Amino acid sequence: MRTAPAQRGDVELRLLLDALYETYQYDFRGYSMASLKRRLSHALERFGCPSFSVLQHKLLHDASVLPRLLEYLTVTVSEMFRDPGFFRTLRQDVVPHLKTYPSIKVWVAGCSTGEELYSLAILFREEGLEARTTFYATDINPDSLKRAEAGVYELDRMALFTDNHRRSGARCSLSDYYTAAYDAAVFDKTLRRRTVFSDHSLVSDSVFAEIQLISCRNVLIYFDRPLQDRAIGLFHEALVRNGFLGLGAKETLRFSRYAPAFAEFAPRERIYRKGGDR
Amino acid sequence: MTRFQRTPTPGSHAAIAASVIAVLLADLYTPLGMLAWVFYFLPVVFTYFVWQPALPLAVAGTVSVLTVLGYLFSPPGLDPWTSMLNRGFGVVMAWALGSIGHQFVRNKIAIRKQEWLQSGQTALSDRMAGDVTLPVLGERVLTFLAEYLEAQAGAIFLKEGASRVRRFATYGVPLDASVPECVEPGDGLLGAALKDGRIAKVEGVPEGYLTVGSSLGRGRPLHLLIAPFVVDGTVEAVVELGFFQPISEADQELLARVSESVAVAVRSANYRGRLHGLLEETQRQAEELQAQSEELRTANEELQEQSQALQLSQTRLEAQQAELEQTNAQLEEQAQALELQRDELARAKAALERHAADLRQASRYKSEFLANMSHELRTPLNASLILARVLADNAGGNLTEEQVKQARTIETAGNDLLALINDVLDLAKVEAGRMEAHPEPVGLAGFIGQLVRTFQVVAEEKGLRLSFHLADEAPPTIETDPKRLDQVLKNLLSNAIKFTEQGEVELAVRREPDGRIAFSVRDTGIGIAEDQQTTIFEPFCQADGAVNRKYGGTGLGLSISRELVRLLGGEIRLSSAVGRGSTFTVVVPPVYDRAAPIRRTPLLDQTGVPAASAPPPKLATRSADDREQLPGSRRVVLIVEDDEPFARILYDLAHERSFHALIASHGDEAVALATQYAPCAVLLDIGLPDHSGLSVLDQLKRDARTRHIPVHVISSHDYHDTALALGAVGFLLKPVRREQLIEAFRTLETGLAHQVRRVLVVEDDPVQLDTVSRLLASDRVEVVGVGTAAECLARLESASFDCMVLDLNLPDASGFTVLETISRDDRYPFPPVIVHTGRDLEPEEEQALRKYSTSIIVKGARSAERLLDEATLFLHKVESGLPPQQAAFQQVRSRSAALEGRHILIVEDDVRNIYAVSSVLEPQGAVIHIARNGREALDALRQASLPGSQPIDVVLMDLMMPEMDGLTAIREIRMRPEWQKLPIITLTAKAMRQDQEASLAAGANDYLAKPIDVDKLLSLIRVWMPR
Repeated sequence: MRTAPAQRGDVELRLLLDALYETYQYDFRGYSMASLKRRLSHALERFGCPSFSVLQHKLLHDASVLPRLLEYLTVTVSEMFRDPGFFRTLRQDVVPHLKTYPSIKVWVAGCSTGEELYSLAILFREEGLEARTTFYATDINPDSLKRAEAGVYELDRMALFTDNHRRSGARCSLSDYYTAAYDAAVFDKTLRRRTVFSDHSLVSDSVFAEIQLISCRNVLIYFDRPLQDRAIGLFHEALVRNGFLGLGAKETLRFSRYAPAFAEFAPRERIYRKGGDR
Repeated sequence: MTRFQRTPTPGSHAAIAASVIAVLLADLYTPLGMLAWVFYFLPVVFTYFVWQPALPLAVAGTVSVLTVLGYLFSPPGLDPWTSMLNRGFGVVMAWALGSIGHQFVRNKIAIRKQEWLQSGQTALSDRMAGDVTLPVLGERVLTFLAEYLEAQAGAIFLKEGASRVRRFATYGVPLDASVPECVEPGDGLLGAALKDGRIAKVEGVPEGYLTVGSSLGRGRPLHLLIAPFVVDGTVEAVVELGFFQPISEADQELLARVSESVAVAVRSANYRGRLHGLLEETQRQAEELQAQSEELRTANEELQEQSQALQLSQTRLEAQQAELEQTNAQLEEQAQALELQRDELARAKAALERHAADLRQASRYKSEFLANMSHELRTPLNASLILARVLADNAGGNLTEEQVKQARTIETAGNDLLALINDVLDLAKVEAGRMEAHPEPVGLAGFIGQLVRTFQVVAEEKGLRLSFHLADEAPPTIETDPKRLDQVLKNLLSNAIKFTEQGEVELAVRREPDGRIAFSVRDTGIGIAEDQQTTIFEPFCQADGAVNRKYGGTGLGLSISRELVRLLGGEIRLSSAVGRGSTFTVVVPPVYDRAAPIRRTPLLDQTGVPAASAPPPKLATRSADDREQLPGSRRVVLIVEDDEPFARILYDLAHERSFHALIASHGDEAVALATQYAPCAVLLDIGLPDHSGLSVLDQLKRDARTRHIPVHVISSHDYHDTALALGAVGFLLKPVRREQLIEAFRTLETGLAHQVRRVLVVEDDPVQLDTVSRLLASDRVEVVGVGTAAECLARLESASFDCMVLDLNLPDASGFTVLETISRDDRYPFPPVIVHTGRDLEPEEEQALRKYSTSIIVKGARSAERLLDEATLFLHKVESGLPPQQAAFQQVRSRSAALEGRHILIVEDDVRNIYAVSSVLEPQGAVIHIARNGREALDALRQASLPGSQPIDVVLMDLMMPEMDGLTAIREIRMRPEWQKLPIITLTAKAMRQDQEASLAAGANDYLAKPIDVDKLLSLIRVWMPR
């Protein structure tokens, strides 16, 4: 029987994801199909493979393909103090609540190359919370984690970062936190002194600590609904009562199974608060 | 020597010399005039083929000298003058040929050099062509240059990005040689070249320079050439080449010529790289945008779906509304009809009540009248009886036979009248409730024998057989009032004998299946018609008016019997058929129950034959109530009442007062429901089928779980004092009025509303104390504030609190001490504690506090809100009971010897997990040590292995921790020989196989996935615990 090429492509893609999971335990099967397909099409071009099956073959026989493929599978777009309004709200409305805890834990889920983490670390330092805070930065891409741990960013992005930082309500300049060398900026090592970098998958792994603030921005958009629900379930379990969850600008809890368990804290900035009665 | 001068073939110089010598010899031996010297031109021409520009001139010079020598030493021949002239021409020719040769070779070499340079340029351009990245470009350029220039070593540095110049490739350099990664402008020779853009040449390279290596050894090039590649005045790359041979002009020239093209290639490769990066970045951004827009679209679709669903449900709602309106209208009509009916009923009820009251009045009057009358009648009757007796005795002997007979008749009639009056009196007494039972143990065999003996004579006189039968299963003794029972049975026996002409009368005693004792009196007499079977128990009624005349009797016997049996807590049944005899059965409980209500049991069995058993108590029936729909409601009332209609009334009333209601129809069920549902109030009836309501009340008050529940007793018997003494909050005597019931509910409600919660606030600053008190206080929360630790302890000892808010800084002792004292001393109850502190806590301090308190609040702008929140939580127990995780931990309580006294190190930074794990292990007798990261774990282990301290038996290691993570810590531990065998179990939140393998690879003995399963944890620890 003949199958339409598009359909065949879907089958091949699923098989590829299965192979990836079976061989390397990276589970992308719950990711949103359309987006995965587009990203992997770019990968096909890059690896010079005519079809997903060929890519699968390559992946199974050559482990060195994996890190390069992961680059395509995980989208590593980020900027520091992205959506400054979000950070301003954190500063003004969330931090006073966090100050009532003797020790604070912050989880940056899907930290990618670390921009979000450094933004939060800088914000917490500026608000005087850094000393009693532990940050957990997790991602599934070991390469991204390494880059996050290095904290080196292209110099030409600093203008945008600095502008964002200023608009987030900062009282000093972002340049206080980095050293420019050649065409790169290296962030202050002490910013990650209180950070645990770890490989953690929202698909398969479970909760590891009791958290006061979770930032998981522009991660859920790549997931399909059941996986989104799983991730939000993890957040719900990890958060303390009245703990905070920050999502990306286009993400919402409204259709999630856990929607009733969260209250909207700052709806415009997509900051939610875990309800006390569930 | 340059690469363009052909290396002379070894023989060529010799050949030239040989030919010169040959010509010289020929010249010397031949006489003058023999033009042998002409052959001198040959060697000169030969030199053209030896690529050395000086050689033709040199040979020409030599040849000139030799020609002169030949002239001088040749044997004479031709005229010397001519010869000299000839030779002169020859010399000139030789020089001419020599200079031509010189020019020719030089030109040739220049042409070759140009060719070399051009082919070099072309080849390099070819190498650099195409879409190459910087590393490839560097590699290609360097390899080419080294090979082309025949350099032995080389390194190339390319400019990457805006300013940095980085090494991209080396040639012939051993891997371990130290070649700088980057070059700064002005830093060394390379830096100088970078800065000036000029080629630098170094001759006689000193020690420690760029080295050349092969498998056989390594060496140091003698000459060094450093060339920058420049375009538009900026240096794009620098190459350093090392030579063993000296560096030629051409090498430098080639480098100068390719300088620009290489620079351009580097620049464009840089551009390309940046472009590529930008393209990928753009792609990624586009991807994110697309994902976002997809998310939006999905959200949009969901919204649309929802709005469609909403529309659907709206239409459905509209339809429902229409339907509701319709039903409403109908209901209204029905309500009106019902109202009418109700009014009518109310009127009828009022009339009935009036009648009932009238009747009660009349009945009382009647009873009183009868009682009085009997007395009044008996007094004169007594006199007439005595006198009639005197007359009948005829002591004077003055009466005729006839008169004596008449006197006897008067006496008999009087006695009958007296019996009648006694009966009437009894009946009146019973009906007026003035007769009491006096229970005592009765031996059944003796009792029955006595009874039968009394009637034996009468029966024999009538020719009837009178027998009795005592069943084996009947108990030897029962506890009842023997006088009343005797009265009843005598009545029945005498009736039986009276109404039986022939045949037999039998008295049988047996045990009913429900445990009660049945006395049956069976006869073979005339029997009673079915339609009269009910009426015969009514006072002054007999089966047939005619019977009365024939058999005599007052007709009160059965009525009295029935009332007496009721008094004994039993019943009387009848089964009979006309002409076939009758059976009267008296059923009484084996033990007289004072509290038992008087039953109104039906007199007839449905079948019409003697009843085999009484209906069993209604244990199984259950009234419909709200037990299925108690959504954690606090307003639940338990109704304990076996009378279903009355239970319904209470149920409706409860709903009216917006309580949920549970109904129990007997005592055991009531206790079970009260324990299970913990209602907020109980309405209790005393007369229950299985056991008395008083025992229910007692059980409720004895159980700690139900002790606090207010119980309101409603009973038809007056147990007011007993009930209140047992702890009931109120008592109502049936029949009750509706207003009384409502009042009872109101009492219960106010009781509920006044369950005031008490909070103890310990705070030394009076202003803060006041603020916190104001914040927490409400009509349901009473706040007690104290300023010192001593006061706090005193308060805790004297009263109970639902929650305690504790400041850590107190004038007389710290909050830590207070908490420790409370937890250690049994005198103090330990309410939930909220620590409210103004200072930042050290991690160790927080850890210590967490043992006693789950919520620690640091004072600040938003702390008031959180304090109120946490306090409310404790006071109202929003989250009922324990969280599931903790509840699970509580199940494991059994103390196993395996962990007793063992030392376990928990390495974990999450307080929640530390608390959970230690709460499992500590009850098992394990001694817990805590480290918050790998470094602390190592310290703790070191500490524990010191002589004099207890070594650690097992380590539980979390993987994700600050400072030093679990895997590193395990590796460090395993490096120490004395800790090689120390059992380590890792706790990981990760599900992947590799992570588990990674912990085993690092040296852990086992691993456990989070969330932690208590049973698994314990069994793992038991497995790995060293024996």
